[in-house]
Amino acid sequence: MARDPKHDILFEPIKIGPKVMKNRFYQVPHCNGFGSEKPFSQAYFRALKAEGGFAGVSTEYCSISPESDDTHRVSARIWDDGDIKNLSLMCDMLHEHDALAACELWYGGPHAPNMETRCVARGPSQIPSDFEFLTYAIEADKDDIRHLQNLYVAAAKRARTAGFDIVYVYGSHSYLPQQFLTPYYNHRTDEYGGSFENRARFWRETIEMVKEAVGDDCAICVRMSTDMFMGEAGTQLKRDCLPFVELCDDLVDVWDINLSGIAEWGEDATPSRFYPQGRALPWQAAVKAISKKPVLGVGRWTNPDLMAEAINDGKLDIIATCRPSTSDPFLPKKIDEGRLDDIRECIGCNVCISRWEIGGPPLICTQNATAGEEYRRGWHPERFTKAKNADNDVLVVGAGPAGMECAMILGKRGMRRVHLVEAQDDMGGTMRWIPQLPGLGEWARIVNYRKIQIDKLKNIEFIPNTKLSAKDVAEYGAEIVIVATGSYWSTDGLNGATHATIEGADASLAWQATPDQIMGEGKELAGDSVVVFDNDGYYTGVSIAEKLALEGKKVTLMTPLGTIAPYMHFTLEAPNQHRTLHRLGVEIVPYHLPSRVEEGVVVATHVYDEEGHEKSFAADGVVWVAQRRSNEALFRELKDSIGLDQLKVEGVDSLYRIGDCEAPRLTADAVFSGHRLAREIDSADPSLPLPFKRERRMVDDASVASEKAEYAALYAEASLA
Amino acid sequence: MKTVVCIKQVLQLGDEVEFTDDGLDVDPDYLDPALNEWDSFATEEALQLRERLGGEVVLVTCGSKASEAALRRCLAMGADRAIRIEGVDRDPFSVARALAEVVSAENADLVLCGVQSSDAVQAATGTALAELLDLPRAAVVTKVDYDAGARTAVVDRELEGGLVDRVEIDTPAVLTIQTGINEPRYANLRAIKQAEQVEIDVRNAAGGGAPAYRVRKMFVPDRGEGAEMIDGSPAEIAARIASIVKERLV
Ligand SMILES: Cc1cc2nc3c(=O)[nH]c(=O)nc-3n(C[C@H](O)[C@H](O)[C@H](O)COP(=O)(O)O)c2cc1C
Ligand code: SF4
Repeated sequence: MARDPKHDILFEPIKIGPKVMKNRFYQVPHCNGFGSEKPFSQAYFRALKAEGGFAGVSTEYCSISPESDDTHRVSARIWDDGDIKNLSLMCDMLHEHDALAACELWYGGPHAPNMETRCVARGPSQIPSDFEFLTYAIEADKDDIRHLQNLYVAAAKRARTAGFDIVYVYGSHSYLPQQFLTPYYNHRTDEYGGSFENRARFWRETIEMVKEAVGDDCAICVRMSTDMFMGEAGTQLKRDCLPFVELCDDLVDVWDINLSGIAEWGEDATPSRFYPQGRALPWQAAVKAISKKPVLGVGRWTNPDLMAEAINDGKLDIIATCRPSTSDPFLPKKIDEGRLDDIRECIGCNVCISRWEIGGPPLICTQNATAGEEYRRGWHPERFTKAKNADNDVLVVGAGPAGMECAMILGKRGMRRVHLVEAQDDMGGTMRWIPQLPGLGEWARIVNYRKIQIDKLKNIEFIPNTKLSAKDVAEYGAEIVIVATGSYWSTDGLNGATHATIEGADASLAWQATPDQIMGEGKELAGDSVVVFDNDGYYTGVSIAEKLALEGKKVTLMTPLGTIAPYMHFTLEAPNQHRTLHRLGVEIVPYHLPSRVEEGVVVATHVYDEEGHEKSFAADGVVWVAQRRSNEALFRELKDSIGLDQLKVEGVDSLYRIGDCEAPRLTADAVFSGHRLAREIDSADPSLPLPFKRERRMVDDASVASEKAEYAALYAEASLA
Repeated sequence: MKTVVCIKQVLQLGDEVEFTDDGLDVDPDYLDPALNEWDSFATEEALQLRERLGGEVVLVTCGSKASEAALRRCLAMGADRAIRIEGVDRDPFSVARALAEVVSAENADLVLCGVQSSDAVQAATGTALAELLDLPRAAVVTKVDYDAGARTAVVDRELEGGLVDRVEIDTPAVLTIQTGINEPRYANLRAIKQAEQVEIDVRNAAGGGAPAYRVRKMFVPDRGEGAEMIDGSPAEIAARIASIVKERLV
């Protein structure tokens, strides 16, 4: 297919400083858990986006000095020659695809916990971080300021040596240069604090020095947040940012304009629950209006019409994407080829971010099971090998996210026939109703994308309205059977806190319900008041509470946890979700666990009350968001009642289960599980994941000998003292 | 009770179309073969009659070897045997003549066709077939009441605007079956595999007779201009149409 001419503008080259980007697609800095210490994982992750058509691809935040160490989280680092070498691999691989490589030079100031390096960072003022606990900076004196600026210059030179084409002086997300610009962080009274000119001085001088050092070879990019949403204290567009653009426009080759500070950076990496795509456009357009330089900007862009409109309307020059490029690294190529319905659109769930926030684990993505697996498992999101056992027929039972993903990938791997059989009248499983929860409409993309793909694959047949018994499955005629029957919410109060049921809990009663019943079956609870018990800790409990409150009920949200929905802290949804529930008058009762329920009352105790005083909460109804359990009856019957031997007699050579049917987890995990099995369906034992490549230092005899000799000498010398 | 079901492997168009170099056909690269949707309902109806009344379901199609996939699909659903007629032009008259020859020899109680095929959308074959077989026919059938050996059947026909026409029809008869008359069963993989082993009875068309039409050229028509979308109540729309017609006639 051909590109729609109205998207041509997205494929026009653009000059930025000494470099030219071949089109308008750019992957903004974002973490993937690889940094500079997993160089191959890093390089393959980024190169795939270049292969998918991104004309510019950045590192994540890249620390310029051991003083700025974000451990437990993983940043890139450009501290020494070793880092240069490791990051140069990424640059080389990007260049193979004619993409520009960008390095986001980062210094965290008070936000850098320095847990590995044990250094102390320097900052504009000595104020503890609003993002980290117990983390302070040294209040920089003039020498410290010069030292900091020299760190940027030295790091920029190293970045140039590594092969980077674009060098950032990164301020957004409340990092050092923007801390100087922002009264909230900058309480100085010298020439680096106070007036706008003074607050801007550090950043301007630093940009000048970096430009002077590498500006002939590298484009200089400044990432600036144009509103922290903190009133007077935070950076503000008109007061600070537009004057800053005017002040530095001559030095900067490209502006990367976004929103937010660090403590609520969900205002930048916007959950779809709260913001549509293109939400930062008014701010970006304001910068574009006064700058002579190209402006790039994020907006969870997945819709090429809106991208083209943003450029045509003169609001942006370059479409910057983070999450959409993770969800679909081939976004530009698919637009170029007019394959719009093949785009795997980001759903804005921020599960990717949750991994960074947790610190350490590699990034995962709900939509794209291959994200982060490019190198370590060798998975390419758009390429598939024909399965060695492709002459087999496969039955997948259950068309939820895991079953759909598995069937789709098996289809792409050329299995002879894949039958995807579903009890309901359409695909989706629980993901049919989850998008009906308040704000989660875009999550329907999980189902829609796969439905379209499955429809295109001629070797997959979808069979709705068909509930198969174990006998039906055995006699179905498939050599490979995959059970993907999902999970259900416990109906008896069984929960992960007590590992026991709750007295009186029984969702078959009219006044009690589970999320499945409310959303999947339309069960309605009578009465005005309801207690939602949540020990799941993610979106379901709060979403049900919000829905019921929107319907006019008086809602009490009770949890044994210290805060509601703690996982939403990691997905950056927590602040606005708290605001929503507060606005709706939902009463939050943390640290409480129901000991028993009766019609009209929930009796609960404080989890830390050693004497177990009971407290009664009047409620007409109760919703149990306690824990999930696998729907494993079919699998058990096949394996235990019919038995693998008898299945063999019927021609079923292998039986697997995937997704929530195995264990209820994140949707991203369910999708991964389906994908993994399909990728490895022709391995020696597909029920077990193949080992993945681990990037780590390997001990060898030579290094053991030399390290031992070195340390023996070191310790021997020390023992003399 | 014997039912003959005439089915067709249709060629579905994707979003894009290219024509062959001679301009007489669509480039096969842009076509996906599939069982005509209406025919799966006709097959299901025949299977349900057989389940109720016993007997046999016989499939007939005109087409190349590749079109056997459609026959096997219906065999997997449970049809008893299948006949494929080779060498037939694809216009409805040629198809109906070839079918008539085979179908008349089967002495069926009922002959079921789909209302239309999704690729040609002419809704002509079933009617032409009835004419050639000299049998009564009912079109757009949404319900079939028939007892084994009965001389008549009572069928519902779908009319515009949700109206239903209930008619009694002498049998044998040709019925063209509408989608939605039933819920076609799925075939499990075992049935599909078994259907692959069934021997298909291949015949050659006698040929002769004039086709309903000949393809001279296939092309994408020029896009017209000046279309006006009329909004409003039925009365307002009617008034607007009337005034347009009057304006244009003057
Ligand atoms: C997993 C993840 C990690 C991120 N890490 C960084 C980072 O290291 N540096 C940075 O400037 N922004 C980072 N961001 C923010 C993105 O650059 C971007 O501003 C934000 O995600 C909004 O863009 P989008 O709507 O295209 O996702 C990160 C975002 C995500 C999702
Ligand atoms: S995890 Fe969710 S938000 Fe992140 S890229 Fe994937 S779909 Fe988008």
